[in-house]
Amino acid sequence: MAELYYNDIERFIGRYSIGRDSNPLNIRDSLHFLRIKIPGGMLKTDQLRLIAELSKEYGRERGEITDRQDIQLHWVEAEDAPEIFLSMEKMGFTTDMCGQGFSGARYGDVRNIICCPVSGIEKNELIDVHPFMKHLNEFFIGNREFQDMPKKFKFAMSGCGADCVRSEINDLGFVAVQKDKKVGFTMLVGGSMGASLPGPRLAQPTSLFIKPEDVYDVAIATTEIHRDYGNRESKMKARFKWLINEWGIERFCKILKEKIQKPLERYDGPIFLNDNDHHGICPQSKEGYHYVNIPLIGGILTFDNMMILAELADEYGSGELRLTPQQNVILPNIKSKDALIKELEISGFSLDGSKLRWNSMGCASDFCGKTKEPHAKDVVNDIVNHLESRLNTNLLDEARFQIHVSGCPNNCCATLIAGIGLEGKLVKERGHLIQNYRLLVGGMTGLKTILARPVDENVPVEKLKYKIEVLLNNYDQERQESENLSEFCQRMPVEKLKSFMT
Amino acid sequence: MEEKVAVRKVGENHYTLDIRGSVCPYPQLFTIRALDQLTSGDTLDVTLDNPPSVRDIPPVIEKKGHNVSKILNVDKGVWQITICL
Repeated sequence: MAELYYNDIERFIGRYSIGRDSNPLNIRDSLHFLRIKIPGGMLKTDQLRLIAELSKEYGRERGEITDRQDIQLHWVEAEDAPEIFLSMEKMGFTTDMCGQGFSGARYGDVRNIICCPVSGIEKNELIDVHPFMKHLNEFFIGNREFQDMPKKFKFAMSGCGADCVRSEINDLGFVAVQKDKKVGFTMLVGGSMGASLPGPRLAQPTSLFIKPEDVYDVAIATTEIHRDYGNRESKMKARFKWLINEWGIERFCKILKEKIQKPLERYDGPIFLNDNDHHGICPQSKEGYHYVNIPLIGGILTFDNMMILAELADEYGSGELRLTPQQNVILPNIKSKDALIKELEISGFSLDGSKLRWNSMGCASDFCGKTKEPHAKDVVNDIVNHLESRLNTNLLDEARFQIHVSGCPNNCCATLIAGIGLEGKLVKERGHLIQNYRLLVGGMTGLKTILARPVDENVPVEKLKYKIEVLLNNYDQERQESENLSEFCQRMPVEKLKSFMT
Repeated sequence: MEEKVAVRKVGENHYTLDIRGSVCPYPQLFTIRALDQLTSGDTLDVTLDNPPSVRDIPPVIEKKGHNVSKILNVDKGVWQITICL
């Protein structure tokens, strides 16, 4: 490493870090990951090419899209970090601060602020949230006032009327709504699906109406409340959900209003207005243009994939790409969609198949080292392929469900909000630890919100796909008109669901 | 700009480096930078509170030919790595 970088290390602090991979069970031999923040998931083709180059030089030619619209590289060596940070700085990137290794409730930062991936181009959107996200990201990145919070803080914003960013599992969600023909936001607070106390919680509606001009102040004040009032006695109680659970919404709103010193109107209307998932090929607000959402189960991109996508975005679009919270990639501003789709097919990016391809996600359990094989991304891939080979695509699409697979109870892939959630667990069998999965069904967010219910605590991996297949066959036989899989699973008694799958 | 993390002399051939509060990769980078300023026969006590760095630093230092003589948990969530050059 150049001497220059050693003398220059301090200037990267607060904007760049690398995270910990590899506990004892890690099979990948990666010690650190680099989580590159892509604000709102929006990036230019030259930025994607740089990430591809970084992956080639330092990350074995592999990148992963995360459910917070970041791109994560593995196998990053600490000694290479200054050179990597220098390259990233030139392209305007930063990283998460990854302070979770510390034993106490501290060094929490604001994570990548996610926003509707088709902000500004979606037909009939209420408001373009991209400028709000950008402004807030710029405020928080490198801001020393917000780098020692009790724990990380997650924000989401959507302006399309749908829950495409899954606001309900964020610490703070701004959702565009209309009140008396005025567009503004309502906010949800205290969501988190992780195992920390008081356990998995959906964000609660505040019944507040936030005018667009107040979003900035309200977002900062809410983050200050987490920083200043959050529990610092215990890491397990340090997420914002603990504070919201202790205080209740009324007290939170009172403190918020005192902080911003402005009246906030009440909002009692619906939070979500539609269930637009932005999948497939969709017309944009600008006549004659489409966006193309490319499904990537598990969000893995190779160096070649990244270079090809950048080339296609330049050739057919506007030199821009967008990453989705479902680990997919969108090419926006496409005029010749048919030609692009042909090129995508040639390059191995198929848009065929069921909606499960867009909806299904797996965490990076193969790197965190808390679980054994088979890992989450492989499991979800195998199940989707199996279901598509055995069941009718119409059935899978009408069931309108997603499969979320998390390798461990930390629940990075939010199994509780999926139609089918699989949560990995290690069990001892004949003296050996093996990876089994807990099966949950019936979760959903957005227009209807309910957490999934566990129906089997301990399923051997090889049996998962058959159990899910049987459940879908029974759904096909016994569903009510326009009932999706989650609604069906919530209507059925757990014992009946269990009986389908034994 | 962050105030520079510096090596402090505490005795004859004995130095300390306090890098508490630093996340990866900084503890490792600061430790290597500190070692580059010292000479054979010196001892450096590195105080840190980032558990991944307690895992990462010793093998890297030994690979560079130095001797990690002691790793001590000195307080709740705080470690001291003693390196002999």
